[in-house]
Amino acid sequence: MGKKKRSSFKPVSLWTTPSVIMLLCLTVIPLLMLLVFSFMNRNIFAGQPWPGWTMKNITRMMGSATFWRLMGKSLFTAFKVTMICIIAAYPASWAIAKIVKPHNRSIFMMVVILPFFTSQLLLIYSMMNLIKTGGVLLTILDAIGIHGVNTWLYTNKATVLVLTYEYLPYMILCLYSSLEGIGDNLVQASLILGASKAKTFINIVFPMSVPGLLSGILLVFVPVAGSFMEPGLVGGANGSMVGGMIDTQYSGSLNMGYGAALSCMLLIILSIIMVLVRLSANRAQKAIGGDVE
Amino acid sequence: MTSKGFRRTMMVCLWIVLAFMYIPIIVIIGMSFNGARYGMFPYQPTLRWYAELFTTSDLLPTCWFSIKFALLVTLAAVILGTMTAFGLQAYAPKWAKRFNFVLQLPIIIPWLVTSISLLLLFSFIGTGRSMISMFLGNLIVVFPYVVLLVNGRFEAMDRTPESAARLLGASPSRVFFDITTPAITPGILAGGIMAMIMCFNNFVVQYYLVPIGTNTLPTLVFTRIRAEYKADLNALSAIIVLAAVVLVIVLSKLGFSAGSLFGMGGGTKKKGE
Repeated sequence: MGKKKRSSFKPVSLWTTPSVIMLLCLTVIPLLMLLVFSFMNRNIFAGQPWPGWTMKNITRMMGSATFWRLMGKSLFTAFKVTMICIIAAYPASWAIAKIVKPHNRSIFMMVVILPFFTSQLLLIYSMMNLIKTGGVLLTILDAIGIHGVNTWLYTNKATVLVLTYEYLPYMILCLYSSLEGIGDNLVQASLILGASKAKTFINIVFPMSVPGLLSGILLVFVPVAGSFMEPGLVGGANGSMVGGMIDTQYSGSLNMGYGAALSCMLLIILSIIMVLVRLSANRAQKAIGGDVE
Repeated sequence: MTSKGFRRTMMVCLWIVLAFMYIPIIVIIGMSFNGARYGMFPYQPTLRWYAELFTTSDLLPTCWFSIKFALLVTLAAVILGTMTAFGLQAYAPKWAKRFNFVLQLPIIIPWLVTSISLLLLFSFIGTGRSMISMFLGNLIVVFPYVVLLVNGRFEAMDRTPESAARLLGASPSRVFFDITTPAITPGILAGGIMAMIMCFNNFVVQYYLVPIGTNTLPTLVFTRIRAEYKADLNALSAIIVLAAVVLVIVLSKLGFSAGSLFGMGGGTKKKGE
């Protein structure tokens, strides 16, 4: 790979030197360190002697029922949040891309991404205040005669709700940009020529929205699976997910090697899932006969 | 798909989604004027929280610190990102693809993992949790957005005026500043805005790398949410929402669409269709 003659080298490429160095030092090397530290005996800080190698982090991780349970919970939560986002975002994006008058579309999209311009933490805070005991939602429910509703706050449902709230705009944005590109006449032609609505959706709309759907899934599933702050804040005592377990190794017990091993495993599992999603999307697209991209 | 009932259903779905997104925000603003303890009922109108925010609260100074910090990171990200996008144009396609893969790692990898790997690195080299670590950590997760957005402009851009100017005798630097720069400016601006917002908002990286004893706005809000309910946070939220509304209006007046800010659709993709 590295033996090719660099005949196409142009001096302009030198402009990328600073970022190549930065990406090497701040992305590639830290990731390698994560891998190396997984096999390290104890914490290592500047100026301390080399701690030596061990397999104990790996065996401890493989044998930890808690880790695999929390990993499963993280992946399942990420799956739920992604599905809710897709189901909610599809009609909404379709409405913005195809039904709203063209000159109003950008206004709607700006409204959709506005929460993104505020602050993640403030969004969580506002959702927590809405659903808490004695908060607005439960007070209104009480006033209209629905009594004795327990708050979702500090349960797993709250985690799903808050994460959906945070990541829904990304999904709408991704789906909108794909759906917007589908020509109206294409859909109409299909309907006029006698295809049913379901068939038109499966054969035309869905295949053409797959690129947006894929980037949406990537933008929602991965960060949700790696989230630790939301479950910690709203999930209650049993709310913790795998991100929380990793976080504890650093903010609590300071067990860097074990934390590094857990992070590596999370990264590996997420990469495998994302590759599988991409492959199955490609196959679905081919099977349906869409030749988009 | 064109029948009236179907269209109405879709619009109803849209409004439900918007209600879901905005009701919590509206409630938080409403509660910023409520004097009752814990933001409960009965509602007691007051401006007390705003007065507290601007006098005794530690939220406002921290917010200023976060804004200044984000501006600093943005400046660095824009310079670095634009240089990179410019240099990337000369890459052979195969290498450009490889570079893009590494470039997108900080975007794709969960911030938790990125932050932990950076904490390991910085502990190892001795800077640990410090301003310089936090600066570098935020820079590495935001500058790829600048590269992607500026790169999008380069790819959408018509390259013939540049060669024409060169043939007619303009120097490379003249071509760069008179022709290339104006064409990519919208991408640089969009990249800067994204970098600014990503950095101002980035809880995870700051949580791991902020110097002990210092707070950025996200880490302070995190601590506050866990510790107590005090509505000066609502007052700050209301102000930030107002600022966001102003920012979004200014952006759309400048011709940015939501898609062009995130580097999808909206203007840059049109050419390929």
